[in-house]
Amino acid sequence: MTDANATRPRTRRDAQFDKIRDREAALAGTRQRTGRFMSKFLNNRLAVMGFVIFAVICLMSLFAPLIAQHDPMSPNLRAIAKPPSAEHWFGTDKTGRDVFARVLYGGRISILVGLGSALLSAIIGVIIGVYSGYVGGWLDWIAMRISEIFMSFPQIILVLLLVAILGQSLLNLIVIFTLTGWGGIYRMARARMLSIREEEYVQALRSFGLGPARIAYKHMLPNALGPIMVNITLSTAAFILQEAGLSFLGLGVPLSIPTWGNILNAAQDLRVLEQNWWIWLPVGATISLFVLSVNFIGDGLRDATDPSQQG
Amino acid sequence: MLTYFARRLLTLIPMVIVISFLIYLGLELTPGDAVSHMVPPDALSMMDEERLQALRESLGLGKPFIVRYWIWITGVMQGEFGYSLAGGVPISKIFLDRLPATLELSFAALLISTVLGSILGTISALTRGSLTDQSLTVVGMLGVSIPEFFFGLVAILVFALNLNWFPVGGRILPGYDSFWDRLPHLVMPAMVLSIMMTAGVMRYARSSMLDALSRDFIRTARSKGMPEWRVNILHGFRVALTPVIVLIGFRLPVLIGGSVIIEQVFQWPGIGKEFVSAVRSQDYPLVMMVALFSVLAVLIASLIVDLLTAIIDPRVRLGE
Repeated sequence: MTDANATRPRTRRDAQFDKIRDREAALAGTRQRTGRFMSKFLNNRLAVMGFVIFAVICLMSLFAPLIAQHDPMSPNLRAIAKPPSAEHWFGTDKTGRDVFARVLYGGRISILVGLGSALLSAIIGVIIGVYSGYVGGWLDWIAMRISEIFMSFPQIILVLLLVAILGQSLLNLIVIFTLTGWGGIYRMARARMLSIREEEYVQALRSFGLGPARIAYKHMLPNALGPIMVNITLSTAAFILQEAGLSFLGLGVPLSIPTWGNILNAAQDLRVLEQNWWIWLPVGATISLFVLSVNFIGDGLRDATDPSQQG
Repeated sequence: MLTYFARRLLTLIPMVIVISFLIYLGLELTPGDAVSHMVPPDALSMMDEERLQALRESLGLGKPFIVRYWIWITGVMQGEFGYSLAGGVPISKIFLDRLPATLELSFAALLISTVLGSILGTISALTRGSLTDQSLTVVGMLGVSIPEFFFGLVAILVFALNLNWFPVGGRILPGYDSFWDRLPHLVMPAMVLSIMMTAGVMRYARSSMLDALSRDFIRTARSKGMPEWRVNILHGFRVALTPVIVLIGFRLPVLIGGSVIIEQVFQWPGIGKEFVSAVRSQDYPLVMMVALFSVLAVLIASLIVDLLTAIIDPRVRLGE
């Protein structure tokens, strides 16, 4: 290294220092935060398993036309309520539609509803929560009161009330879920903003004369991303469960569109429940597996991003 | 304490007013003649146009919106909830008929999930990191991931249709209406309804117990040579239980949500089942009334929870 070092004999300590220096030089270019996040997440076996299951189910639904040999909508009167076979992997339902194809295609809609509503409500909640949490004042007051009104309804009652008023359709369901779901993430984003509002870097930015929107969205939002991501995963799971429940009642997505809940709807008939287990059992298992995997991912994300659990 | 109570009540009242206002707005904006849910339908069918007009006048339907709201809300406070569009039954009668069933089911589920959840959570905390703890955590995760009605369907298939242990659904057989006759009907819906809450309570009880066990007074108790089970039960569990009890109040919306679907699965004749069929047949007056009263229930539960916390923990009522 330097001349002074070169003149004296190298000791073991020198070699150790060199090693540490090399390691730091190698890490200098990478982002440490992401590295720690990834390694924490990957170390969580359940989270990784959850992610694999999640990815497999998503991909199978996405490529449903390539995987399923049958059309999910067209009835086949020659194969009514047949048990599973090589031809129909999950059997056929009461009008002879292939259950396996219906599960795959149903996954598209169910995941779309779950993920779409979770993302939409996160966008609305974050946009309002981040800004009003930072700025405060009357805007914050109004947003808080509105969210209080939404959240004092038990969620399913509010959802069903809106279904009764707006009517049943796929788009309406996503809108209704978004309307009823934004409150939770709004409150979380707002609380997070309140806790970092007085930190020194925020005060420094303010003293530079940056506008509130810029400070809130550009500089403070990244510090709240961890809990927001956790919240999005957990609400995806909740919305998928709700869609299934509503469609099971026959009040979710219109019955003509296959979704996981709509397929389960057939099990309200006791004869189907007792004699045609293949119509409802695989779908129920798929929903459970999918929601379970999303919950594991959410837990893994929380463990990996929550600073209070790092150590 | 009294000032805290008064302040808490004062924040509640505007909330109730705003929500009842929204509900009334919904009633007015949804299709249907307002007369039809304010007057018994058989009386309505005997009227000609002229008397109908006079009736509208006397009900204040020609008056401004705020006045109509006032007439409606004072009526509701005196128990005049209006009439259901389907069948023309007074909504108050539907409530009286159906509420006991729903309360019975909810109370049973609440009891099961509280007892089971706090016991399992405590076991999980005491054996932290062990195989028991890990498998309980996974089981808890399963409990919140599997749709409740799917549990219900499997339970019906196994325990009702195959094993014949319990009836498939319903609540009372005609002629057999004592509590012991009803009990077999109650078992499955109550168990299924309690699953999701049990998992929630268990998770919460575990972390609350872990928190309590790390406190100084536990170390003091141990250092006095107290046997381990006494430390855990008398000192740890008792302290850990208070936040768990509080949590249960907050779980009320979850319970209401669950019972709407579970009542349908087991054909349980409660408010939830009535609500679903009202949504289906677009019976707006009934839908709005159930919504109004479920909000009231949630608000009152959260008020009680806050008061309980304030009684237990003086920091809550003195600070802020």
